[in-house]
Amino acid sequence: MNRSLLGRIWPNATAIVLALGFVFPVYWMFTTAFKPNSDIITEDPVWFPFHGTFEHFTTAVNAPNFWTLVGNSVTVTVLAVGLSLLIALCGSFAIARMRFKGRKGIILTFMVAQMAPWEVLVISVYMIVRDADMLNSLVPLTFFYMLMVLPFTLLTLRGYVAAVPKELEESAMVDGCTRRQAFVKIIFPLLAPGLMATSLFGFITAWNEFPLVLVLNKEPDKGTLPLWLSQFQSQFGDDWGATMAAASIFAVPILVLFLFLQRKAVSGLTAGAVKG
Amino acid sequence: MKRGLIAATAVAGMLVSVAACGSGDSKTAGASDFKGKKLIVWVMDGSNPAQWTKQVSEDFKKKTGATVEFRIQQWNGIQQKLTTALSESSPPDVVEIGNTQTAAYAKAGALADLGDLKKEIGADWTDSFNKAAMADGKQYALPWYAGNRVVMYNKKIWAQAGIKELPKTRAELFKAFDTIKQKTEAEPLYLPGQNWYFFDGLTIGTGADLVKKEGSKWVSNLGDPKVSKAMDIYKQYQAFSTAPKNKDEATPQQAEIFSKGKTGAIIAMGYEGPTAVKANPAIKDDIGFFPIPGETADKPEGVFLGGSNLAVAGGGQNQELAKEFLKVALSKKNDAQMVKEVGWSPKSPDLASAAKGNPAAEAAAPGAAKSSGTTPLIPEWAQVENTPNPIKAYMTAVLNGKAPADAAKDVEGEINKRLAQKQ
Amino acid sequence: MSVQIEDAVRDSAPRIGKGGAPPSRRGRKTGRAARSAPYLLLIPALAATAVFLGWPMVRNLIISFQNLNMKQLIQHLTEWRGFDNYAEILGGEQFWRVTLRTVVFTAVNVTLIMVLGVLIGLLLAKLGKKMRLTLSVALVLTWAMPAIAATTVFQWLFDARYGVVNWVLDALGWHSMARFDWVGSQLSTFFVITVLIVWQSLPFVALNLYAATTTIPKELYEAARMDGAGTWKVFTSVTFPFLKPFFLATTFLEVIWVFKAFPQIFAINEGGPDRLTETLPIYAFTEGVGNLHFGMGAAISLLTIVVLLAMTAYYLRLTLKQEEDEL
Repeated sequence: MNRSLLGRIWPNATAIVLALGFVFPVYWMFTTAFKPNSDIITEDPVWFPFHGTFEHFTTAVNAPNFWTLVGNSVTVTVLAVGLSLLIALCGSFAIARMRFKGRKGIILTFMVAQMAPWEVLVISVYMIVRDADMLNSLVPLTFFYMLMVLPFTLLTLRGYVAAVPKELEESAMVDGCTRRQAFVKIIFPLLAPGLMATSLFGFITAWNEFPLVLVLNKEPDKGTLPLWLSQFQSQFGDDWGATMAAASIFAVPILVLFLFLQRKAVSGLTAGAVKG
Repeated sequence: MKRGLIAATAVAGMLVSVAACGSGDSKTAGASDFKGKKLIVWVMDGSNPAQWTKQVSEDFKKKTGATVEFRIQQWNGIQQKLTTALSESSPPDVVEIGNTQTAAYAKAGALADLGDLKKEIGADWTDSFNKAAMADGKQYALPWYAGNRVVMYNKKIWAQAGIKELPKTRAELFKAFDTIKQKTEAEPLYLPGQNWYFFDGLTIGTGADLVKKEGSKWVSNLGDPKVSKAMDIYKQYQAFSTAPKNKDEATPQQAEIFSKGKTGAIIAMGYEGPTAVKANPAIKDDIGFFPIPGETADKPEGVFLGGSNLAVAGGGQNQELAKEFLKVALSKKNDAQMVKEVGWSPKSPDLASAAKGNPAAEAAAPGAAKSSGTTPLIPEWAQVENTPNPIKAYMTAVLNGKAPADAAKDVEGEINKRLAQKQ
Repeated sequence: MSVQIEDAVRDSAPRIGKGGAPPSRRGRKTGRAARSAPYLLLIPALAATAVFLGWPMVRNLIISFQNLNMKQLIQHLTEWRGFDNYAEILGGEQFWRVTLRTVVFTAVNVTLIMVLGVLIGLLLAKLGKKMRLTLSVALVLTWAMPAIAATTVFQWLFDARYGVVNWVLDALGWHSMARFDWVGSQLSTFFVITVLIVWQSLPFVALNLYAATTTIPKELYEAARMDGAGTWKVFTSVTFPFLKPFFLATTFLEVIWVFKAFPQIFAINEGGPDRLTETLPIYAFTEGVGNLHFGMGAAISLLTIVVLLAMTAYYLRLTLKQEEDEL
């Protein structure tokens, strides 16, 4: 009796402690954004923002070019993720479903491509873009972000495509579909959740990228949001309040996307991983 | 990167003013050619005060018919950003560069020679200001502003402790800190362990050199007893503070801590007064300044003269216009505005009157005039201060109880490596 | 999702054979097209990789043989150094020390992430609906928090004087921790970095593991239980074998991610104190970009890839071998 009660309590108790532990930093970011300066740097932590203020949000949003940068960030991220999904889908279909020469080499290439040290490649990328006279443009940025997420997207989607039973495709072809039609009509709908899943990873990567955009796009209206986010940490010390307000704004699109796609995303990655 | 550079306006580094957009075909002077052009100037976040900026923009427009766009640069990653920008075909026209970094950029061939301009507008500039804008005997930049540290104290706390007279010597200062410690609840001094430019000032005070020449190579001189002596003075200061030994004065911002009214004093730049007031307006009337006292009453403590220069990008498309801009930006009138508005130290004797009425500037003046210096003015030096700055590691080690000579040995390898790095 | 797929499969399954005809082999006329199809499908991915990754990598390789500093970059000069950059790096002891440190760091973090992640994933499976949702939401919030924001918050939580962590430890009675300087020593700095990285990575593993367990047929569990297997036994005899590919793939990904962790380590203490928490990517960045010594940085980054390849060689070989058996 005692034991079963305990048996029921401990998982729940553990879960609560864990949930609090995981959420706390997120909570701290959001609440700090609402605290007046005098409540931010204190020897005794102020746990709840009772003296709420919007001043930090005002500071953050009124920074020069804020809305332009929002536009740039959204454009670059959406295009980069969209392109990589498209390209990866084609590629993953070939790898998962077809037998051909060089297949192993290609898989290896993408696995190794995941290891690319982008932080250090920045200077090579910069020199290439500079010499091509493409600085201060969103185009190279989009393509390089696309490539940062392409290998992961492709390999994950491959497992996902492989999880769709072959018979399904074959039966469709029996029904008179061409292979392409079979793909578009039967397999693609089944893949949709997987596409959402992998796209999350891409969104986070492209949305967060800082070192490359720092050197590629120096015109003030050609930057992206991470540049904006970094400006509240300055020579005169960090403006914690504004940094947290900016970070909160910055995090919201990703949070919404996650909560929205969460279930599909999670199981989508699983399907990929289990098979992969 | 990050904000490693923070502290001193000094490191502050680089203001590049860019004259980017012009088509750049014609390089001949003459006001009419400049009409409608736009000059781009990179200044660091926090460098250009509002009234000065307005004044300069108007004067420049009136004089040349061209407009100037100030582009505020963030500290995060500024080194990569500036270095790469200077390699481009249309770099910024004018850039702000920290006075300790100017030699490195000059040596890299990034800056235009401004020798003639200096003769024309800067004949009366104090040498201590100007020498940090030169490299190999040539003028590669023009000094814009510089300042040095002072003691910023809380008058209310000092009054509570019953201190009537401001200290004139280091011993008196330490006695005052002691009194505050015993008679009040306050922390006498907030001094984190890595206020490296304060330490640099102390080495200037003891007459130490941070580097020495060995054959044809520069090597670390941190093991020198004079450096140890300066570090020992720092340690005595730091003993009055409970501030973290491995942080610098910007994390967290010391002026904000001061603004809470529980700190007797900080070693600060003049502009940190307004920062404290912004964080807590009630503190305004309690803030006072005085020069950091030296060993004896006749000479204030050695101070690091930190500041920034303005330079013209060597590959710029509008170099003539950029020079016109410098004439305007560094005119007597606008220089005076910088001193008055921010409290920088006067660059020439004529500007002394502009400092009157700004208590921080007045407190800084004796140090600037009598005992100021900089970091070693060699092109290799900038590398040493790059994050992670080995001298900061040295400071923390000594404060944590290591013998100065041993701590110096620990970082010597790193410093020498950086000094010897191929250029 | 896998669940949904299976449902979908089941739903559509009846369609198979509806026409009654056995699936025919592909017609002869599609022969050549079929043979070139995989290449056509792969061209965009391969071309993009070649241009946007291959080219920078080649450029990086070239730079690694050069003396490329501020001056050479600004004046567009090319100065060859041959193998000097490599000789300097491989000849110094720092590279080897950093490599060893990186390997240990990666091993510790990945182990922690996998073990704790699996435990949390199994806990999720055990929980009731409401609690599961609560914990999942917490995990998702963590997962979605941008790295830049997360590192900033952690830096501050562990601040010596104004940090919440020290305040809590002090309040709990551990008074010597009141002003503890977390980034003062190598070990404690690594502790903070590890907490941050593990915190950030757990949601991925835990949520995926939970989702994966839902794909295990219930009968397997029932059978095991009937044989009287305990929780641990069920895990080792059913869950683990069934999800082995999942464990391998996730471990592989975590090895890459932890090994490459950059903003976390850099933001906490910039590789300090005394460069004692530099891992290979930080080392490459500090030497290359930070010190404006790009040739060195490029050389280190290439050596870094070699180390990472060595660390993942087992998995790479395994995968390639599997590829032969599949299809």
